Amino acid sequence: MDPTLVKMALGGLALLGCIGLFFGIGLALAAHKFAVEVNPKVEQVKEVLAGAQ
Amino acid sequence: MLASRSKIFPWMVLIAVAAVVLSQVCWAGLANRFIQKTAFKGKHDIVITFAAPVDKEWAENKKNYRVYEEPDPDIKLEISSVALSKDSKKLILHFDEELNQNQPHVVIIRNMQSQGKNLGTAMVKVKKLYLGFLFSIFIGAMLIHNFVFTKYLGLCVFFGTSQKKSTAVGMGITFTIVMVASAMMSWFLYQFVLKPYHLDYLQIIVFIGLVSLSVQAVDTILRKVNPILFKAFGVYLVLVIANCIILAVPLILADNEYNAAESLMLALGAGLGFLVALFLMSSVRERLELANVPPTYRGLPIAFVVAGLFALAFLGFSGMSIF
Repeated sequence: MDPTLVKMALGGLALLGCIGLFFGIGLALAAHKFAVEVNPKVEQVKEVLAGAQ
Repeated sequence: MLASRSKIFPWMVLIAVAAVVLSQVCWAGLANRFIQKTAFKGKHDIVITFAAPVDKEWAENKKNYRVYEEPDPDIKLEISSVALSKDSKKLILHFDEELNQNQPHVVIIRNMQSQGKNLGTAMVKVKKLYLGFLFSIFIGAMLIHNFVFTKYLGLCVFFGTSQKKSTAVGMGITFTIVMVASAMMSWFLYQFVLKPYHLDYLQIIVFIGLVSLSVQAVDTILRKVNPILFKAFGVYLVLVIANCIILAVPLILADNEYNAAESLMLALGAGLGFLVALFLMSSVRERLELANVPPTYRGLPIAFVVAGLFALAFLGFSGMSIF
């Protein structure tokens, strides 16, 4: 295989990985900052219900 | 009366300021009133239009003109020939070398002679009307090539959220924000990361990622800031990810190699065009609720018919060009 092509492909992988990591951390921080408190009872009630509908 | 005036007043001030700024931008550099217009023509010519006929003998003497690029006044550009139009009002300066039109040029015209009178020396600027180009991109994306009505993109969200005016306007504004954010990010990544490293074949994947990033960010923020609007959007906010317009814009601006300002204008135009389309459609559909539509046409079918009529109306803009 042509080494320049391999280099390009690896570069692409590294780049997309970096972008994904960067924005993932950004989104996680945003989710933390703008968190909406959900009543934990909602989840509990939903679990107890039958859930067919 | 007083209340309404106080509401209008800030707008009037804003419009006045905008008008002053625009007129400054458009007329800057035309110091002499005898010269009506200066413009580049082709790659080798500068055209100067006078308010009245000038004397042929004076006009065709090359020594009466001095042309240079604004940043370096020392480097005089060589004029190869001067031509005067038949009505003696239009002057064409021809240069052998190609003019760098991204740079404003200064033309000094000595002792202008019109009907035997000496009108003094003028110094005028010639520059490309870049603002006009930006404006034409904006209007083009918004009306002439409206993404919904002339390209039939983004119809899913368009029909989904155009039942009520308030939802439609909210969706349009959110869409515009998401569009501008994702378009600017994709412009940046394309110009400074993908292109230099020869990774342009990954552009679609990267753009989809950026769009979903901005949608997710808006989703998270809107959930906290405006829960009522968030509920009204329902599933359609997430559907923005799959909207064709929001993916088409980064692809178009990567294709055309737009710069930052042009990308911003395209994204804004596309977003506002979608807002206009949604608003028009929701106004009609609110009335359709009251109309006596045959049962088979009720709901989506009549909405598609209305969208077709709008598309026909928007056909009136086609082929229009500004500047």
